[in-house]
Amino acid sequence: MSDLSRLSFTSSRPLTLGVELELQLVSLRDYDLTRAATDLLAGLQYDDRFGEIKLEITESMIEVNSRPRQDVTAIAADLDGLREVLVSHCQRNNIAICGGGTHPFHHWPERRICPGERFAFLNQRYGYLSKQFTVFGQHIHIGVLSGDDAIWLTHALNRYVPHFVALSASSPFIDATDTAFESARLNAVSAFPLSGQAPDVADWAAFVDHMGLLQACGVAESIKDLYWDVRPKPEYGTVEVRVCDTPLSVDRAIELAAFAQCLARYLLRERPPVVPAMQALVARYNKFQACRFGFEAELADPIHRRTEPLGETLLHLLDTLVADADDLGCRRQLEGLRTLAHSQHGDAVWLRETATAAGNLHDLTRAAVERFAKPSCYRPHA
Amino acid sequence: MISIRQAWEALQDRFFFLPPFPEQLDPLALFALLLVGGLLAGETLFRTIGLSRIVGYVLAGALAGPGVLGWLDRETLSMAKPVADAALGLLLLETGRNLDLGWLRANRSLLRSAAAESGLAFATIFVFAYFAVGLSLGWSAATAAITMASAPAVVLLTAEENHAQGQVTQRTLLLTAINCALSFVVFAVVLGIVHAEQSGDWLNALAHPLWVICGGVGIGMVCARLALMVASRQAKGSVAQVFILVAVALLAIGVARMLAVPVFLCLFMMGAALNLADRDKVLAYTGLPQGHWILAIVLFVVTGAMLPLGDLNWITGLQALGLIIVRGLAKFAGVMATGRQDLPAAKRRLVGIGIQPLSATAIFMAAELAAIYPEVSGQALLLPLLAAALMEFAGPQMCKYALHKAGETEPLPQGRQR
Repeated sequence: MSDLSRLSFTSSRPLTLGVELELQLVSLRDYDLTRAATDLLAGLQYDDRFGEIKLEITESMIEVNSRPRQDVTAIAADLDGLREVLVSHCQRNNIAICGGGTHPFHHWPERRICPGERFAFLNQRYGYLSKQFTVFGQHIHIGVLSGDDAIWLTHALNRYVPHFVALSASSPFIDATDTAFESARLNAVSAFPLSGQAPDVADWAAFVDHMGLLQACGVAESIKDLYWDVRPKPEYGTVEVRVCDTPLSVDRAIELAAFAQCLARYLLRERPPVVPAMQALVARYNKFQACRFGFEAELADPIHRRTEPLGETLLHLLDTLVADADDLGCRRQLEGLRTLAHSQHGDAVWLRETATAAGNLHDLTRAAVERFAKPSCYRPHA
Repeated sequence: MISIRQAWEALQDRFFFLPPFPEQLDPLALFALLLVGGLLAGETLFRTIGLSRIVGYVLAGALAGPGVLGWLDRETLSMAKPVADAALGLLLLETGRNLDLGWLRANRSLLRSAAAESGLAFATIFVFAYFAVGLSLGWSAATAAITMASAPAVVLLTAEENHAQGQVTQRTLLLTAINCALSFVVFAVVLGIVHAEQSGDWLNALAHPLWVICGGVGIGMVCARLALMVASRQAKGSVAQVFILVAVALLAIGVARMLAVPVFLCLFMMGAALNLADRDKVLAYTGLPQGHWILAIVLFVVTGAMLPLGDLNWITGLQALGLIIVRGLAKFAGVMATGRQDLPAAKRRLVGIGIQPLSATAIFMAAELAAIYPEVSGQALLLPLLAAALMEFAGPQMCKYALHKAGETEPLPQGRQR
């Protein structure tokens, strides 16, 4: 166990990108989640050229991590390469892989915890929550120069958590029930005691003090124990946005990475005023609004003491980011999100429409499998 | 001392409503007794020493059967046969549904594994029966055809009982489905050889295998189409679809019995046809109801009672053991020699162990042959029947061991053992 009061921040090139996707492993027989992750990795002959493929907490999940990249095009190549490797290897094992923030009808007590010290510890500490944590998210890492920048960007990005949630929402179903939420996944995360927002600390030194306190009180032993919506990741030299559902397609995952990079660039460039204490007053409410209503959420603005419609502010924000997107070479991806924000026809809507058309959730998951298997239109050679 | 019969008949004189003294057990009462007896034995062995429940059911049947206590005589067994047929049929329907051609297309090494283990098993058993035991060519081929397959009912129920999921489980189920399919085809051909050998009747030697194969495939395909057609009007995965699946399967069993086509072949073909023809996934999400365990208990109790344990002596025992060993080694070697790029060696070893069971299907196949040539088949079929008898007790444990060792069975709460 490392001493968190001496935690150092590894500097990285600003705006470096990295993406993690947690994916569902389903049976081809009935499209329910199945125990497959350790078998899949044991038989996989893959040289990590597109990034890592790793176990997650339960045997029905697999995590893919892109390599750290400077631009979205390289991220697209990595994620689509990883998709291709996994789709092909899953076929050989008679299982399938798909996106989406939750599996629509799996029965959580049937999940099996993956072997490994960390997973055994989590299972021992959190009991049934560890199996209920079979939910699937996209995490986006953005590189920053210093720990102080990381803390500032963490606070600055917190304001946009609802926007990330609305754009990525793909978990309307849980336990074979339409939850009426656009993203029900985050309710599973909220059950953990160390979820929520990063504390209101001014800089890296204050953050390290806070971590030392958590460690001394036995609350957390490492940054990994903190399931904050946005958190600094000192060993990578990044700030990690953790609120997105895993989208149904690699294309959407790439677009979200582009959005994060543009937004971070804009924020670090403009340095707008950030008031973490005020944001904290409404953060949970705003996140709930985005999870429940998606693009139709009404966000609380504690500074101007009013509400603002998420759909409108998102379109305005995307307009604001166009110049950054041009400079970063990801205008096309941002345009994809603009079309989405305009139509409000996201993954959650697609899931509901497909479920209604199919009349059952097995065929819905089958359709999600087929959708995930499609090659990305953003891959460089495409 | 007055007997119960005499007392009953005396009472009959006074009470007009009393029926004649019951000469035999009502089939429903028999069903209930088999069920409760098997269930108690299975649960007791499972809870006390952790044996597979299936072993308990077989043990209950073997003890109650003609070979030991004689509570279940041959007449009683023939009364229970339709229920056992239905049970085996439903389990083979499930096995047929595991014959996943899509998976075989995506992973050709599975086909090589299946061909290797089935081919090696047939060849080694044939050689052993012909040279070491001294059976005729026809009966050696029949022995090999009957015992080359794994036991689908045992593998399926062991996987289900232990909630097993993973590559060892899936591959064990798939290889079992393929070796069953091959075994049925070889069995039909062997029927012709036995006809030719026993009677020199070439017309029947050609016509009977064709009748069996065409009948099995035809009934299976027509019933699969019928099930899909009717089920497509119901909600997917609904109870109505479960009823339709079971009802059409029972129809297939009935027609097969009427036309003297092996029930196991028809139902296996129906399962395979359901898998192949169901492009819209009409019945893909509909499984057998949990009630099929009730039928399975009766199947294994009846199977246990059918075992020729009375014929077991040290010579026949050694011969059966020899067959089990050569068959086991052949299956194991077939799996180990193939699929090196596909599955780690440790897992291939466990698949090789998982496909070892030999059971009810073999016994029912032997019964089909015995019904045709009762005068000669008794001795000739003793070898496969005794091998099946021994493996009835070892097979479920081996399969359970493989799935458990692979880490694919459901972990039990701490402090409990399976």
